[in-house]
Amino acid sequence: MTTRRTEYPAGEGAAGRRAGPGFLVPGGVVAEGRYRLLAELGADPRVQARFWRAQDNQLRRDVALTLLTGDPADGPAAGRARRVLERTMHAARITHPGTSRVLDVLGPGNGVAPTEGLLGIVVADFSQGTDLVDVIAEHPLPPATAAKLLEPLAAAVELAHHSGMVLGVDHPQRIRVTPDGLLRLSFPGPLPEATLQDDVRGLGAVLYLLLTGRWPLPGVPGIPSAPLGPDGQVVPPRALFGYIPYELSSAAVRSLSDDATGGIRTSAGLLRVLERAKANEDGTQLIAAVPDEVEDDYDDGTVWTTRRPANDRAKRRKLAIGVTTLAVATVGVLAWVGLQLISFFGDDTPTSGGPTVVATAPGNAENNPKPPQPGEPIQAAGVQVFNVKGTPDNPRRANRAVDGDMKTSWKTDRYQQPFPTLKPGVGIMASFAEPVPFAEVVIDSPSSGTVVEIRTAPSEKPALEETKVIGKAELQAGQTKLQLDSAEPTQHILIWITKLGDGNASELTEVGFVRAR
Amino acid sequence: MQQGGQGPESTPAQPAQPSLARASSTMAIATMVSRITGFGWKVVMGWIVGINLTYDSFTIANTLPNTIFELLLGGVLASVVVPLLVRSQKDPDGGAGYTNQLLTVGMTVLFIGTIIAVAAAPALTSLYVDDSTGSSNPALVTAFAYLLLPEILFYGLFALLSAILQAKHVFAPTAWAPVVNNLVIIATLIVYKIVPGDISLDPVRMGDAKLLVLGVGTTLGIVVQSVILLPAIRKLGFRFRWNFGFDARLREFGGLALWILGYVAISMVGLVITQRVLTAASEGGATTYANAWLLFQLPYGVIGVSLLTAILPRMSKAAADGDMDKLVDDLSTGSRLSAVMLVPISAVLTVTGTALGVALFAGGKTDLASAQRLGHALAFSAFGLLPYALVMLQLRVFYAMKDARTPTLIMVVMTAVKVPLMYMCGALLDPEQVVIGVLLVNSLTFVVGAVLGQMWLWVRLGNLHSKKIVKVIASCVLAGVVGAGAAWLVSLVLPDLTSLATGWVNLVAQGLVACLVSFGVLAVLRVPELKPATSRITRLVRRG
Repeated sequence: MTTRRTEYPAGEGAAGRRAGPGFLVPGGVVAEGRYRLLAELGADPRVQARFWRAQDNQLRRDVALTLLTGDPADGPAAGRARRVLERTMHAARITHPGTSRVLDVLGPGNGVAPTEGLLGIVVADFSQGTDLVDVIAEHPLPPATAAKLLEPLAAAVELAHHSGMVLGVDHPQRIRVTPDGLLRLSFPGPLPEATLQDDVRGLGAVLYLLLTGRWPLPGVPGIPSAPLGPDGQVVPPRALFGYIPYELSSAAVRSLSDDATGGIRTSAGLLRVLERAKANEDGTQLIAAVPDEVEDDYDDGTVWTTRRPANDRAKRRKLAIGVTTLAVATVGVLAWVGLQLISFFGDDTPTSGGPTVVATAPGNAENNPKPPQPGEPIQAAGVQVFNVKGTPDNPRRANRAVDGDMKTSWKTDRYQQPFPTLKPGVGIMASFAEPVPFAEVVIDSPSSGTVVEIRTAPSEKPALEETKVIGKAELQAGQTKLQLDSAEPTQHILIWITKLGDGNASELTEVGFVRAR
Repeated sequence: MQQGGQGPESTPAQPAQPSLARASSTMAIATMVSRITGFGWKVVMGWIVGINLTYDSFTIANTLPNTIFELLLGGVLASVVVPLLVRSQKDPDGGAGYTNQLLTVGMTVLFIGTIIAVAAAPALTSLYVDDSTGSSNPALVTAFAYLLLPEILFYGLFALLSAILQAKHVFAPTAWAPVVNNLVIIATLIVYKIVPGDISLDPVRMGDAKLLVLGVGTTLGIVVQSVILLPAIRKLGFRFRWNFGFDARLREFGGLALWILGYVAISMVGLVITQRVLTAASEGGATTYANAWLLFQLPYGVIGVSLLTAILPRMSKAAADGDMDKLVDDLSTGSRLSAVMLVPISAVLTVTGTALGVALFAGGKTDLASAQRLGHALAFSAFGLLPYALVMLQLRVFYAMKDARTPTLIMVVMTAVKVPLMYMCGALLDPEQVVIGVLLVNSLTFVVGAVLGQMWLWVRLGNLHSKKIVKVIASCVLAGVVGAGAAWLVSLVLPDLTSLATGWVNLVAQGLVACLVSFGVLAVLRVPELKPATSRITRLVRRG
C-alpha cells in the first residue's frame, strides 16, 4: 500500500524522463531567469508536463509551475501546448478555494526563451500543505474524511462547469492537500482534448484514490493502479475495503464509467453524494470503519497526518498477533494433554470403567437386547487361499480348514521375516451361496499369537483395499471366538492373517462360521 | 451449518415491523422444536440402525448436499441476496422482477449444480472418506450420495422461498417447515424398520429395500420441507415467471460475497479433513461426531439463539448509527450473558456427558460402548460451548460492521490450527477414541477463534471491557467446577451406567445437582449478569 513519495529530491531520477537529461534540475532557472526551480512534484506524460515548486526571483514567493516541455520546432506539440495555455487562461477566471489562482501564463516569445526547451509555463500560487499522493501513501483515508476532502475540489469543478470551462482535474499529482484540509488543484492546465466529462471522471478517480490508495485511470506512474474486475472495469472500492459505504463506493465507480446508464455525468451529481456522505458522517455506517484516532486528528486540524495513529494501531495489531500466537501455542499444548487424557480414559473404559463408566465386557450386559445373538453355524460353499503378493500358501489345502475334521489343517508357509516384509498378509477366503449376516467366526488354531482380521469382500477375488475389516483378534492356542458386531450380510468373508504365530508360520485347524438370527 | 437455512440469522433486518418481537419469539420456539425433532430422528436412527458403518455412510452422504448447497448459494444468499430482496420491495414492481430473476437464476444454478454433483458422487465420496485403513465403506457412501444429492435442489428452493417470505415479513411457515422434514424422516425410519432384508455391505447393492427407503425418504423430507412453503407463497399473490438476468445491484456486493464464499469454503476444508480423519479411524466415528456435535450445539441453539435474536437488532442498529460505544456495550453484555448461561451448562455436560450419551443412545441396535463413547466425546468437548457462542457473537459484530473479510481470515487461522491437531488425534489415539479427540480439538479451535476475534475487535473498536468479561467468566468457571464436583460426589452413590434406564437416573440426578450448585454459587458470588439471564429464561418458559 505504500506509494512512492513524489517529491524527488534530486533531478537525476525524475528529470531524466524525456526532454533531455538534466535540463530541469533543482536550482536551475526558467522563464528567462524569472523562476528558480526548487523541487519537482510530479509529471503528466500526456502533455509532457512537469510540475515544479519554484521561487519567483523578483517577488520572492513560492509558485507552482506547470512546465510544458518539448521542442518549439515540433509543430503539433507546440500547438497542443498553445491550446493548454489558452484553456488555462480561460479557466483562470475561476476563483475558488478548490483551485489555485493562476498568476501568469507564459509561452514562447512571451516570457519563455525559444532555447529553454519549453513550450509554455503556467504559473500559479503555490499551495502549502501535502502532496495528495503522500496523504494516501500509508493507507487509504476513512470514507468520511475522503468525502470531506474532496468536496471543495468538486465544488470548484462545478463552478467551472457552470461557465462551460474545463478545470482539468484528472491527475493526482496536480492536486495538493491544503493545511486546512481541502483538496486544491495546484497545477492547473487542462489537456487540449479534455471535456467536462473528463473532469467528472477525474473527480471519481480522485475519490477512488482517497478511498483505496489506488488510481483507476491510466497514465500515472508511481501510484499503484486499481485492480480490474473480470469485466475489465475497475473493481468497486467496496470490494477492496468492505467498510467503505455503498454510496461512496458506487459514486466513485459510476463517475468513472463511460456508459450513459447509471453513470454520474455531472459534477453536481457527485457533489450531492459527497455532501450526503459528509452529512451522514455521524449518522451512518461510515463510522463503523473509521478508527477513532482519525477522529482525534480532526480536532488538531491536521487531516492528513495518519502516521501517529497508524503506529498506535500497528502496535495494537502487533499485540493482537502476539496474543493470538500465544493462544494457538497454549491450545496446541492443551490438545496434547487432552489427547493423553483421552488415551488414559480409553485404556480404562472398555475393561474396568472410570468413575461413571461401568465395566461390561462388550456384548454381555444383562437386560440389554443384543443384536447379534448367536445363531446356527453355516457351512461355506467354497474356500480358497487369498494371496495378494508372491506365491499362495498351500492353496490346495485351504478346504482343510473348513472340513470339520480337527486332524487336518491349513498352514501358511514358514517365513524368514514377519509380515509385512514379504507380503502384507495371507488368508482364506470363504464364499457362501447367498449373502449371510454373520455373528461369529470360530477359529481353532495351535498358533497362539497369530493376529487375524475378519473382512467382508465384494467378490471372491477382490483387491485387498476393497475388503472391509469387521473384526480382529489375536488367536489363543485352541479355540478363539470372534464376535462380529456387524450384522450386515455378506457373501464372501476373508480370514486375513496380519501377524504370524511363533516361528513365522501359522496353522488354522478349523474355521467355523455362525450366522446371526 | 448443519441444519437447513434457518431464519433467526436474517430476522433483525426489518426493525420497523411491530410484529417482529412476537414473530421472533414464535420463531425461537419453532427453532427449538425443529432442533429437538432434528436431534430426535438422529437418536431414533441410532436405535433402529445402530452406530455403525451404515449410519456412518448415511451421515457422510447426508452432509454432502448441504455442503454443496452452502458452497453454491447458501452463504451468498444469506448475506447478499436477501438484503437486496428486502431492498427490492421498494422497486416500482414491488420486487416481483427481482424475485423472478432470483428464482430463475438461483434454481438454474442449483439444477446444474445438482446434476454435476450427482454425476460426481464417487469423487465426492473419495474426498470425504479416507478408505486407506479399510474401516469405512465408500461404496455405501456413494450409494447413499446418489439418493441424497438431489436434496441440493430442494435445499435451494427452500432457502429461496423462505427468503422471499421473509422479505414479505412472513416467518411462521419457514420456521416450522424443518419440523415437518424431521417428522417425515422419523416416518421413514419406521418404514425402514418394517421393511424386510438388510443393507448388504459387501457388495453394496443399490436395489436393497432398506437402502432405498432410507435414501429416498430422507430426500423426500427435504422435498416436503420446501414444497410446503408453496401455498404460503401463493397466498402472497406471487406469480413465477421465467426471467433470466443479472441485477446490476448485485455487482456492488461482489467483494463481500467473495469473502463470505471464502468463509464457507475454508470451513468446508476443516469439515472434509475432520471426516477423513474420522472415517480412517474406525466405524461409527462419523456418526458419533455428528451426533455429539448436535448435542453440543443444542444448548447454544436454545439459549444462544434466543439471546442473539434479542441482542442482534440492537447491535446492527448501533453499528449502522456508528455508535461504537453502544456496540461495544452490547457485545460485552452478550458475552457476559452467554458466559453466565453456558459455562454452568458446560460443567453439567462435562460431568453428565457419558450419562447423557447412554441415556439417549444406549437402546435398540446401539451398544453401550458406542453410546458411552458418544458421551465421552461430549464430555471432553463441553468446555468449548462458551468459546463457540463467543465466536458466533463476534461474527455477527463483524458482519454488522459490514466487514466480511476479518471473519474469513479468522476462519483461516482456526482451520490452520485445527487440521494438524486433527491429524495428531489420528496418529496418537486408539482408533476407537479418535472421535473424542476430534471433538476436543474442535472445541479448542473455538477457543482460538474466540481469542482471535476478541483481539481483532479490540484492534478495530478499542476497549471492549474484556477485563469485565474475563472476571465474569472466571466466576462462572469457579461455579461450574464446584457444581461438577458436587455432581461427581453424587455419582458415587448412583448406580453404574449399564443401560438406558440407569443413564437417565444418572443424568437427571447429576444434572440437577450440578445445575443447582453451579447457579447457587453464581448467586452467592452475586454475579450481576445472572438476573437478566434468569429472567429471560423464565420469560421464555412462560411464553412457551
